[in-house]
Amino acid sequence: MNPYSGVGFFEFFGLLLQRLFSGEPMVSDEVQLAVLCCSAVACGLVGPFVVLKKMSLFANALSHTTLLGVACAFLLAGTTGMLLLGALISALLTAAITELLGRVFRLSADASIGLVFSALFALGIVVVTVWLRNAHLGVEAVLGHADALQRSDLTLALSLLGFNGVFVLVFHRQLTLVAFDENLGRTLGFSAVVWRVALFFLTALTCITAFRSVGVLVVLALLIGPYLTARLFCQRLGQLLLWTPVLGVTACLIAVAASRSVLSTTGVPLSTAGILSVVIGLQFAVAATVKSLSTRRTIC
Amino acid sequence: MTLVEYFTDPILRAPSIGCMLMCMTASLLGVVLFLQKKLLLSETVSHAAYPGALVGLIALALMGPEFEPYAFAAVLVGAFVFAWAGLWTVRFLEHRFRIHADAALGFSLALFFGFGVLLTSWVQAVFPLWSNQAETLLFGQAATLTDGHLWVYGILTAIVLTFVCACFRALQTLLFDRGSRRIEQAVQILLLLAIVVGIRSAGIILVAGMLIAPAVAARALARSLGPMFIWAAVFGALSGFLGNVLTTHVRLPTGPAIVLVSTGFALAALLVSPGRGLAFRFVRKYRFHLRCREENLLKELWKKGRMVRKGWVGFRLKQQGWVVREGQWLRLTEDGKTKAAGIVRLHRLWELYLTEQLGVEAVRVHRSAEEMEHILTPELEERLTKVLANPEKDPHAQPIPPRRP
Amino acid sequence: MVQADSLFVNYDRTAVLWDVTFSVPPGVLLGIVGPNGAGKSTLLKTLLGLVHPLSGNVSLSTGKIGYVPQRETVDWDFPITVLEVVLMGRYPRLRWWQRIRAADREAALHALTQVGMADLADRQIGELSGGQQQKLFLARALVQEPDVFFLDEPFAGIDLAAEKDIVQLLKQLRDQGKTIIVVHHDLPTVSEYFDWVLLLNTRLIACGPVAEVFHAENLRKTYGKTSPLFEEAVGLSAQKQSGL
Repeated sequence: MNPYSGVGFFEFFGLLLQRLFSGEPMVSDEVQLAVLCCSAVACGLVGPFVVLKKMSLFANALSHTTLLGVACAFLLAGTTGMLLLGALISALLTAAITELLGRVFRLSADASIGLVFSALFALGIVVVTVWLRNAHLGVEAVLGHADALQRSDLTLALSLLGFNGVFVLVFHRQLTLVAFDENLGRTLGFSAVVWRVALFFLTALTCITAFRSVGVLVVLALLIGPYLTARLFCQRLGQLLLWTPVLGVTACLIAVAASRSVLSTTGVPLSTAGILSVVIGLQFAVAATVKSLSTRRTIC
Repeated sequence: MTLVEYFTDPILRAPSIGCMLMCMTASLLGVVLFLQKKLLLSETVSHAAYPGALVGLIALALMGPEFEPYAFAAVLVGAFVFAWAGLWTVRFLEHRFRIHADAALGFSLALFFGFGVLLTSWVQAVFPLWSNQAETLLFGQAATLTDGHLWVYGILTAIVLTFVCACFRALQTLLFDRGSRRIEQAVQILLLLAIVVGIRSAGIILVAGMLIAPAVAARALARSLGPMFIWAAVFGALSGFLGNVLTTHVRLPTGPAIVLVSTGFALAALLVSPGRGLAFRFVRKYRFHLRCREENLLKELWKKGRMVRKGWVGFRLKQQGWVVREGQWLRLTEDGKTKAAGIVRLHRLWELYLTEQLGVEAVRVHRSAEEMEHILTPELEERLTKVLANPEKDPHAQPIPPRRP
Repeated sequence: MVQADSLFVNYDRTAVLWDVTFSVPPGVLLGIVGPNGAGKSTLLKTLLGLVHPLSGNVSLSTGKIGYVPQRETVDWDFPITVLEVVLMGRYPRLRWWQRIRAADREAALHALTQVGMADLADRQIGELSGGQQQKLFLARALVQEPDVFFLDEPFAGIDLAAEKDIVQLLKQLRDQGKTIIVVHHDLPTVSEYFDWVLLLNTRLIACGPVAEVFHAENLRKTYGKTSPLFEEAVGLSAQKQSGL
């Protein structure tokens, strides 16, 4: 029996705190919260660089084309490892083809990205409907299955968080350099290609892992939203890398609590991923309103 | 199933014609966006339309199941309102908060779509009878289009075609130096309409793809705006039709089918277009280098008189009648001597031009002349001769062969 | 010393640099001038290794180079402070696991003092004026302690006071034996600012001491109507090479 059933919005947090220190095994709500929070922090560490390097729409493309990799991997074997590999390969393919189209055919960035992602996503749908005969995989890819998360998903999310955390901590200088002034980086002896690929790789990994929990589009919200909100009040990259995950986690907490309370009061199971997007949007709206009204310019 | 049946059969004709019309409309607008480098705007617009479409469905659902036939209209209206809101949000974020277009587009896209995800879950829980409709919004389902829908598609296509023809000049200025704001707004409204109407057949996720691939194909085949529009419309219509045909044979949603066909066209155009297509460029480069090798051999023969057989290049020269084989030697024919002299003339004329007219040092001109002797056209030769006043000696005091009679 | 040998750079169907050869000795303040589209920025980027020439080569007697790019190349909304930008110049000295040390901060502040911006160290770069932005880039280059400086249109759109400051600093660096190469757009100030000048219009017109090379004849060749024959021929060559 889920201790959270019937719980309202504010009681949720009370109960959560209680259970945090009680040492009881995690229930589905808590697993969901944990996975989402891990995804939020992982996205919050990478998001600032993605936005600053103007890669948001590319990240959007990546999250669509992941479907192809995942679908092909499903065909070959259904293990998580294979799925991850498949997704990584499709991410690499996306980047490589986009670059190729830009260089060889001199297509503009938006045309290359658009062409690649729609074609690869369409191929993914083909694989899914024709060979896998599982039309739902396509829909699920888009909508996510945040309301059916399990312990295995938590392990994955934690690993991603660990990897992102370490990577950003160690290499934040190089990432900042490639985001700020690539040419300078080259004259200083840093390879622009290596670090662009590193950033891309990090983004791909983040999208892929989070895609399983929240679906393709909410990943984007987690990458971009909290950063934009934090940016309203904070101007230093170092501190933004702290505030962005914090805002992301806050949004997750509110979303999960809201989802549970709606279920408790009306009996309607709403998509937590959807609620999360809306909360992220509201976060930004509130912060923006406060900023317009207040006289103080920045916090940090 | 014959081709004609796709247009006459009462079940098949609406999807066939509907898809054709929709893709044609989308591709025309795609050309405009492509040249403005704003293609991904369509992506944000389509994703922003998602919650709107759902709101339309929910409104009907609340009114009662007897309103289901009005779903198309409700979806259209809802989608339009929200798509417009999505666009407005992007502009607001850009101007009010100085957020870069890339992030503004991405954020707006994700937020609106996330809201749509939320609404979908509500529909699935509360109005399960309508949840099928909600799902087909994502990937489209042209197969169930009826003649009634065709009216809407037809009218929209007519509007866009009229707009493109009537405002052609204005569009040109828009694309080349940021013309009037009104034209830009008109284009955006038409974009909203095209996408919102197209959602029914192609689905939210891939309707943006309808705009992109035909525009890319058109660009590969045409340089100016008019022909680009025509090519895009042709490819658009073809992709729409063939994509729809594909769905009757393979159980695919319409969106992916059309996108795959149109991408195929785009790739083919990029590779094989006579102007900038990769294949032709490759061939041209190769043939140019071959010609350079042949002409270099001719020059060498001209200077040395005779040479040992030179394999394949020598063989080609023989075929073309510039050289003859005498035992193990190659010699120039009379024609060959004239041709070779012509090349040497170009070489030395260019050297003289560089030293005399452009003040380049004599030691440095040889390299450039080695390259230019294969490039200079008879017209350029004529102009060189005039500018240099019919010269007889090059900068190295070597005689310049006279002009060919 | 900076040396270029027969540089050819194409872009699509046009030649941007054509057979550019020159040699600049150390301790010289050189200005590159030419009309718009002459390839000045491209030349700078080719010297820096940011652009790969079709043929020809560049040789720099030193590996330590400082690059001051055009101000538009950077997004000034980036959430970073003045000091942090200057510190970027110290990155090559740090191993990937090392953090910024006191010595690095010291060096960065010293560079900022040299350009007169030490008091702005904690400012957001978005709050800087045009002249300050330029000085920031210069400080970033200074902190690397290079032997050669490359500046791309440093005086475009900045106030006169900042311009004078920068020129004075450049001359000081020149006196210390550094080679300084500047893409410049303002002809009247050439003789006042530079020792050497390089006149470029796709081709190298002249390169040498200002007194010798900066005269009406060369200026006419640089800024006058380019020979259409040359342009056509060279353009045709670029076209054929790329198969178009």
